[in-house]
Amino acid sequence: MPIYDQGYRRYEARAPLRKARFWPITREALRLVLSKRAFLGLIAAAFLPFVVRVIQIYIVTRFPEAGRILPVDGRLFGDFLNQQIGFAILLSIFGASGLVANDLRTGAILAYLSRPLTRRDYVIGKLLVPLFLNLAVTLVPALLLYVSGLSLAPELYLKWELAWIAPAIVVHGFTISLVVSLLTLAISALSRSARVAGLGLFGLIAGLEMVRLVLQQGFRQKAAMLLSIQADLRALGVALFGLTDRQVVMGWGWAALVLAVLSLACLWVLRSRVRAVEIVT
Amino acid sequence: MGENRAPLVEFDDLAVSYGLVQALGGVKGAFLAGTTGLLGPNGAGKTTLLKTLLGFLTPDRGRMTAFGKDPTREPLEVRRRLGYMPEQDCHVPGMTAAAFVAFAGELSGLPRDEAISRAHEVLYYVGLGEARYRNVETYSTGMKQRVKLAQALVHDPELLLLDEPTNGLDPQGREEMLALIRDVATRRGMSLILCSHLLHDVERVCDQVIVLNQGQIAREGEMRELTGARRQVFDVRFKGDAAAVLTDLKDMGADWREGEDGVRLFLPEGQGPETVFRVAKQCGVQVRHLRPGAETLEDVFLRALGHEIQD
Repeated sequence: MPIYDQGYRRYEARAPLRKARFWPITREALRLVLSKRAFLGLIAAAFLPFVVRVIQIYIVTRFPEAGRILPVDGRLFGDFLNQQIGFAILLSIFGASGLVANDLRTGAILAYLSRPLTRRDYVIGKLLVPLFLNLAVTLVPALLLYVSGLSLAPELYLKWELAWIAPAIVVHGFTISLVVSLLTLAISALSRSARVAGLGLFGLIAGLEMVRLVLQQGFRQKAAMLLSIQADLRALGVALFGLTDRQVVMGWGWAALVLAVLSLACLWVLRSRVRAVEIVT
Repeated sequence: MGENRAPLVEFDDLAVSYGLVQALGGVKGAFLAGTTGLLGPNGAGKTTLLKTLLGFLTPDRGRMTAFGKDPTREPLEVRRRLGYMPEQDCHVPGMTAAAFVAFAGELSGLPRDEAISRAHEVLYYVGLGEARYRNVETYSTGMKQRVKLAQALVHDPELLLLDEPTNGLDPQGREEMLALIRDVATRRGMSLILCSHLLHDVERVCDQVIVLNQGQIAREGEMRELTGARRQVFDVRFKGDAAAVLTDLKDMGADWREGEDGVRLFLPEGQGPETVFRVAKQCGVQVRHLRPGAETLEDVFLRALGHEIQD
């Protein structure tokens, strides 16, 4: 008996298409990424600064004098989030740089686009992967840190004049995550190799940072700050949390404009690459 | 027979172009329920037709309807009723076959539990039951082809689009794949469009054929009508100056082409083997072998493309 005599059942019960059609894409990609132990280790490492900051708050509650050298006001959260930018980039390189590149390499993109999914569903489904990962190491620990602060030292944080901290954490954490995620996905869409996309993302971010350093410190070019994605993100943190950062020498408005243009450019790349695949393949 | 089958897909004056290059130039036709072979040389417009059907491309003019819906305006409704097996590799890296096919089902709108259940059934059906927990990247070419078929079948589409399904398969794998496709069409009652350059595959599986050439439909119809004995066909071997005989026969309205073993002659209506013997005798040539034959799909295909006659 041929093996295909083992049965094939027709399926008649077609339900209306669900609204969140992108969700299976996100869920399966996250499942694949989080099944790697090394990656889980990286996420765990990204929580070390959180632990350090909680200890810092605890020390200040026990020894208030320590607050002079270890300030635990709103700046603590801005510093923390700016520090987490590096982890967000690392997670994106190792966990998300192959999201579109691998689909292009293995032809999986056709498995998506020949289904009842729009290109927008595909992009949203993929974008949510680095966004969730990045939020997990920026917004989530920052909010946990705030909650820890409220629990450990309510006298320090339960003040009307510090009510801006939580919204500022949400805005900054979300902005970092979104910009890094869009950049990761756009670079992934430009290659058919996850490795090349990862190196490209690292090279772009590190390269622009080096150019900024050379131009800013060697040639006193203030506007060079805008070249660096990290510096632009830090500039937003400086503005939101009232930090002092010697490397942030331009106003947050310019940095926000650069990040907005960069995000739009990434969306354009994604749109054109996914469309091109449909036509050319 | 074809008139009794309802058209699943219809297109009329359909023109599609990539920039200045016109891929389809105002074609009119239909894919009926059942099995249809889509033939044509590279660049004929086969893939463009499939991609327009999938809603990827917007026609410059004309219209196409699939299941009564316009794929450009309602692509999701059309795609959920289609199953597409692409020509090239198609799998998600890191996924087992079971996970990949279930994922494909879910993307097609199946509830998760149903998608998982059907994925296992379909993988058994295509002969990958024992290997379904292996990573697809470790599969052989033949197994990858079967996974592609499984992901196209998992949501039980009304119309299956198969793009070169036997590509890269060894003879045994090819036979098994064709048997599977034939089974899908005949016993499971699913309609399919088989896009292939292997005429034998199309001949084995399809009831209807559409031949595309340079963005136009060069020939279409029922397989048995197209390949029936409408012309007198003979496979002939000559001993002597065969060219002289063939030139004289051509002057009488016959066509010919090199066959696998000698020459394949297409004689006009009303002429038979006696004509061949007579002309050969006049030319002083011996007929060593003459066997009546029927037109194959290859003959139809070559004739449709205008490549039949050898000079």
